[in-house]
Amino acid sequence: MIKRSLIWGTLAVATMLTPAFAQDSTVRIVLNEEVDLLEPCMSTRSNIGRVTLQNINETLAFLDLREGGGLQPKLAESWEQLEDGSWRFHLRQGVTFSDGTGFDARDVKHSFDRAMDPSITCEVPRYFGGMTIEAEVVDDHTIDFKADPQQPILPLLLTLISIVPEETPIEFVREPIGTGPYTLTEWTPGQRIVLSQRDDYWGEMPAVTGATYLFRADPAVRAAMVATGEADISPSIAALDATNPATDFSYLDSETVYGRLDHSVAPFDDLRVRKALNLAIDREAFIGTLVPEGALLATAVYPPPTLGWNEAVEVWPYDPEEAARLLEEARADGVAVDTPITLIGRTANFPNNVEILEAVQQMLQEAGFTVQLQFYEVAEFEDLYSKPYPEGRGPMVVVAMHDNSRGDPSFSMYFKYASDGRQSGISDPKVDDLINRAQAATGDEREALWKELHAYLHDDVVADLLLFHMVGFSRVNERLDWTPTMATNSQLPLADIAFK
Amino acid sequence: MMSFIRKRAFASLISLILLVVAVFFLSRLTGDPAALYLPSEASEEMRRQFREIHGLNDPILVQFGRYVWDLLHLDFGDSVRRARPAFEVVSEAFLWTLQLAVITMTLVTVAAIVVGSMAAFRVGGFFDRIASLTSLIGASAPDFWVAIVAIVVFSVGLGWLPTSGTGSVWHWILPIGVLFIRPFGLIVQVVRGSMINALSSAYVKTARAKGVKTRPIIFVHALRNAMLPVITVIGDQAAALLNGAVVIETIFGFPGVGKLMIDSILQRDFNVVLAAIMITAIAIFLMNLLIDLAYALLDPRIRY
Repeated sequence: MIKRSLIWGTLAVATMLTPAFAQDSTVRIVLNEEVDLLEPCMSTRSNIGRVTLQNINETLAFLDLREGGGLQPKLAESWEQLEDGSWRFHLRQGVTFSDGTGFDARDVKHSFDRAMDPSITCEVPRYFGGMTIEAEVVDDHTIDFKADPQQPILPLLLTLISIVPEETPIEFVREPIGTGPYTLTEWTPGQRIVLSQRDDYWGEMPAVTGATYLFRADPAVRAAMVATGEADISPSIAALDATNPATDFSYLDSETVYGRLDHSVAPFDDLRVRKALNLAIDREAFIGTLVPEGALLATAVYPPPTLGWNEAVEVWPYDPEEAARLLEEARADGVAVDTPITLIGRTANFPNNVEILEAVQQMLQEAGFTVQLQFYEVAEFEDLYSKPYPEGRGPMVVVAMHDNSRGDPSFSMYFKYASDGRQSGISDPKVDDLINRAQAATGDEREALWKELHAYLHDDVVADLLLFHMVGFSRVNERLDWTPTMATNSQLPLADIAFK
Repeated sequence: MMSFIRKRAFASLISLILLVVAVFFLSRLTGDPAALYLPSEASEEMRRQFREIHGLNDPILVQFGRYVWDLLHLDFGDSVRRARPAFEVVSEAFLWTLQLAVITMTLVTVAAIVVGSMAAFRVGGFFDRIASLTSLIGASAPDFWVAIVAIVVFSVGLGWLPTSGTGSVWHWILPIGVLFIRPFGLIVQVVRGSMINALSSAYVKTARAKGVKTRPIIFVHALRNAMLPVITVIGDQAAALLNGAVVIETIFGFPGVGKLMIDSILQRDFNVVLAAIMITAIAIFLMNLLIDLAYALLDPRIRY
């Protein structure tokens, strides 16, 4: 009797003491990896950006990836290109940083110079390769950016620069100060980061008054946390766990899986072999099986809403007979089609990585290729993926995942396809010329040039083995009105979240 | 006794020095941190600057000399990834692991000794069969599976406990519960085996013949003698926990040293790896010393 009451007593207490999850105006967001830095100039790194971008630190402009969005003003009210090709930004007035200091053009200049400073290793400079940019303060609320060579997408490039106060030292900070609607109020390493709303924010006050960020590496745990109410949003859960239509959303996540071919190594120097490679893959068969439903078959290394997306380019059909015929034809002409090809993957690169590559290997073998499959850890993979490529490497198909959520192909094209691009497998004068011209062009001309390059690379050069535009899955508590977009991979503005 | 402790400390110091040398050079063999820390599109210039800032351009022996010098001043350097002192990062994480290990091993030791002793008292009896079966299952159940099932049942299904994280007493129950299972299964079996031997020995028969009651026979006469092999296994299991329960820490989002060490190895954050190895090595040395001393306490024949 006593024993039984003890058991029931314990259960009752346990039930009563179950953590009470307050239904309030704050949200809890569970990320897949601990945020180890909160440095504004590192906000291009996925989870850092999800915490800081547009929450703590703001940018001059931001890219709205929703239908009819485009580049929108934030800390700059407007901008224009001057006669000499440089860009002038007119800054918003009456904005203050969370430390109370006012925002002006000198802060913008300092933020840019700091992010570019070689004495701290910010991630931003990689997007500004092959150009020099000078920021020049005109007056308190006007700043010019002079680029050499001219940069038609400079306002877009500047969406990568988080604005910090002029006093910020040139070293990594752990307490970011910004103009955003939130400030960092608690950071317990390994456990949580808490942001609270400022009461002196310049813009419209978001509905969310505060946010707590938690970190769990296991996707099943992240999904369970939203299911139990311990968290409100998990930006990424596994496709396997996305079973509840009321809370789980899939979204095109701006990642593209493709196999990079090195055209300087036989037999990939032969167009017929490259075509055969593409015809041998039954891409459709992957969707809904190894690749989640909703993923798209790829015709470029960047996803569809990117500028200059060419609708007319069609996915390679699955035609093993034609692939075999092309291979035979090449063989008859003395092309070394029997050289063993190495299919190279990176361990744990994306879900079902191993199975997808095994299926690709089998499809290629059925078409008549000899294919070995090899997986490498990140650092070793990087040696094969980026130049200088190893000597005597033999033909390789390096299967990688590339992310471009920035709305313009220039963030991919140069280093993937230009003759001296770091991860390029081709050297084609027409491609180089198109890239240069497109990068220097604006408006409709820019769009037309990117379209032309899209089709040329896919249909004529047959540059690589394009596979899938991937989807991600998020789980969102039903009390929130928020759906993930392609931008969710890199940022999660709390102002976008509303309560039902 | 003091001379034994001194001798052990000296031997451990030599192991530690060898460890520092081996880990330093082996970790340099695993790849260039610049390749990993910087994005793949980073220019060669950025890579060179990164190596320059973090002293990775110097000859390896110069880097080693600098590392040893700093170490002698108890300076483990900064974490490249976190821009904080490596020692601070590691000691925070180690404190979590230490708490987890101490609580779990205390519970395991008490429970396993009681259950193992009772099972040994009537070999083949009902309690023995149940205890043996559960301990066998416990010792062989994969902990990642147990952890996920526990979350599904106790957090999502019943809603009794939080899924993961830290913050309240309730957060500790699932990780400790899951960590408890395997060492408990192992130690119950060792206690049971060792007790069966002890209980069939002549001194226990004598005690029974003299009319000593069951409880004192088990817990006073037999147990003390049966404890030596048990202590060894407890030491092994505790050492494994002190190294960090990587799987459990990962699943439950527990900020312990095991996950930190794995993450730092993958990120080539050398200073954190070295600091973590040094701190856990010292902890394990201290624990082994305690175990040696426990031997002497339990068995008067052992003298140092």
